[in-house]
Amino acid sequence: MLKPSLNDLLKSSFRSILKNKSRTVLTSLGIIIGVTSVILLTSIGNGLKKYVTDQFDSLGANSIYVSPGKVFNDNGGFSQSGGMMLNTFTQKDVANLNRKLNNVDITPASAVFADISSPFSTQKNIEIDGSTENFGKNNNLAPSKGNGRWFTKEENDKNTSVIVLGYQLAIDLFPKSSAVGRKVIVKGKTLKVIGVSDKKGASFGGPSFDKQAYIPLNIAFELSGKNDIHSIIIKAQNKDLIEPLKKQITNILLEKYDKDAFSVFDSSQLLNSINSIIGMLTIGLTGIAAISLVVGGIGIMNIMLVSVTERTREIGLRKAIGAYPRAILIQFLIEAVILSCIGGATGVLLGYLGTLAIKPFFPAQVTTSSVILAFGVSSLVGIIFGVAPARKASKLSPIEALRYE
Amino acid sequence: MIKSSSPNNSKVVLELKNVTKTYTTGGTQFNALDKVNLKIYQGEFVSITGPSGSGKSTLMHIIGLLDNPTSGEVLLEGKDISKLKEHQLAQIRNVTLGFVFQQFNLLAKTSSLENVLLPLLYSDVPKKSRPKIGIDLLTKVGLEEKLTNTPAQLSGGQQQRVAIARALVNNPKIILADEPTGNLDSKSGDEVMKFFHQLNEKEGRTIVFVTHDMDLAKQACRTIIIKDGKISEAKNA
Repeated sequence: MLKPSLNDLLKSSFRSILKNKSRTVLTSLGIIIGVTSVILLTSIGNGLKKYVTDQFDSLGANSIYVSPGKVFNDNGGFSQSGGMMLNTFTQKDVANLNRKLNNVDITPASAVFADISSPFSTQKNIEIDGSTENFGKNNNLAPSKGNGRWFTKEENDKNTSVIVLGYQLAIDLFPKSSAVGRKVIVKGKTLKVIGVSDKKGASFGGPSFDKQAYIPLNIAFELSGKNDIHSIIIKAQNKDLIEPLKKQITNILLEKYDKDAFSVFDSSQLLNSINSIIGMLTIGLTGIAAISLVVGGIGIMNIMLVSVTERTREIGLRKAIGAYPRAILIQFLIEAVILSCIGGATGVLLGYLGTLAIKPFFPAQVTTSSVILAFGVSSLVGIIFGVAPARKASKLSPIEALRYE
Repeated sequence: MIKSSSPNNSKVVLELKNVTKTYTTGGTQFNALDKVNLKIYQGEFVSITGPSGSGKSTLMHIIGLLDNPTSGEVLLEGKDISKLKEHQLAQIRNVTLGFVFQQFNLLAKTSSLENVLLPLLYSDVPKKSRPKIGIDLLTKVGLEEKLTNTPAQLSGGQQQRVAIARALVNNPKIILADEPTGNLDSKSGDEVMKFFHQLNEKEGRTIVFVTHDMDLAKQACRTIIIKDGKISEAKNA
C-alpha cells in the first residue's frame, strides 16, 4: 500500500507548488509555449488538409486529369523535373482519345494568360481557360440561375465570342452592376459576358477559380495564336471505372509519347500528394516546436533541484519521522509532474484559443489526438526531468539533511 | 527542581552492544563511538551529555536509528536492527520513536494540526481517526486554540510544544529530544522540561534527551556522559 496515500501526496504537492506562485508560472512557461505551439501547428496542418480535401471535392469527383510532362515522381510526390507547361497536347491527341474511348466525357483545356478590360477597369494577367461546353459542369463552374449560363456546344463549335467570368473577376470588372450581358476586351477582341460562375471561395495558395475566366476552346486558340492543349479532363462514369480508364488512356498516349512525357492522374492521387506534403510539413514544424517541450523540461528539472536544496531540512525531518526513500521520491516526482501538467493544460487551453483566433483567417482545426499527444508528452517530460531531482531528494541522509542550514 | 522517577520496571527498550562508529576523514580513521554498551529501560528518563565533539550526536543518531553502527549491535526490544535497510529503519522510526529537535523543524506555512499529523502520513493509522489524535495531543500541550496557526504565528515555546505533540502522535516507545530547550528562553525551556517530566511520570514514557547543559542533564534520573567516544554514567537520584 502506498504511504502516504496518493490523495495526501497530491494535496501536499499542490500546496508546495502554490507556495511559490510566480515560480510555478515561470517554470511552466517552457511547457506552456511548447504545448501551445504543438497544438497550434497541428491544428493548422489538419485544417489545411481538410481544406484541401474540401477543395478537391468541390472540383468534381471521378475526374481524370491528363497533363503534359511528368507530374508525379515514382514515390507519389510531385516530380521535380518537368512541369505542367513543359509541353502540350494537340487537338489530334484529343480526337484520338475521343475516337478510342467510349462513353466518356472528354474536356480539353487550353489556358491563355491575358489582360481583360471592361469600361470600368482592366484586370492584368488573368488565366483564361479555353474549353468545351462540358468544362463548366464537370468542374462545378457553371453559373447558377440568375447569373447567366455556360456556353453551348454550338457557341463552341461556331467560335462565338462569349466569355464566362469567375465570381471575383466579375465584381472587379463590373463593380456596380451585373456583368452578364456586358462586353469585355481581351487582346483587342471583344467578348460578350454570358455568365458569372458561383463563388468557389478563396483557394489557398493555388490559383483562385473566382479570378479566372472561361471561353470556348477555339477562341482560346485564336487569342494565343497556338493550338495547344494544356490539359485534358476525362470524366469517368463512376469511381470504380477510374483505374481501368486511367490505364486505357495511358496506353493510348503511349502510342505516341514517351512514358515520362505525360501524366494521367485523378484528384485522389493529387490530393494524397498534397496531403502528404502538408503532413510532412506539420510533423517537421511540430517537431521543432516540441524542442521547446524539452527546454521546458530542463526548466522544471532546474527548479526542482533548487526546491530539493531549499527543502533539505524538510526532507531530513520527513525521513527522521518515518518517510522511506521512495515516499520522498514519489512526492518530488509528483510535484514535477504537476508542474508540467499545469503547463500542459495551460498550453492546451492557449492552443485551443489560438486556433479559434486564427480560424477566421486561416483554416485550422484542433484535433483530439494532438491534445492528448501534447498533454501526454508534457506529463512524460515532467516524469523524465523530475526523476533526477526526486532521486537526489530520496537519497539525502536524514542526519545530513537535518543539520543543513 | 523536579527530579525524575526511576524506571518502574527493568524491561530494556533499547540496547547498544559494543557499538563502534568509525569515520574516515582524509585517510585517518576516527572512532566517534568506541565499543559503547548502553541499556535504556522502559519508563526511564535519561540524559546524554558531553562536550562538543565527544560523540554525543553520533550516539543520538544511533539511538534514533538514523544511522547504522560500523560494528556492534543495536537491539530494539531484543531484536537486532543494526543491519536493516534504510526503508525498514524508516518504518521502525515511524512507529517506535518520537523526535524533538532543537530547531523545532516544523513545516513552514503549515498549520499546527497538520504538522502534528505529519508522521501519520507514513503510518498505517486510518485516515479518519487521524485529526482527533492530533487535536487531542495539541489540547494536551495546551495549544487547542492554535490548531490552524502556522509556526510563524507561534512563539518558540509554542512551536516546541507543537513539535512535542508531533513526537507523541505515533504513541512511540521512546521520545528522543536533541537539545530541546536550546533555542528557547529559560521560561519556555522550563515549561518544556516540565512537560517532559509529566510525560515521564504520569504516562511512564521513556525519554532520552541530549544536552550540553549539565544542570539540565541532572534533571534526569540517569545521565550518560560521553567523552571521546566512550561513555560513563552518573545516577542523579
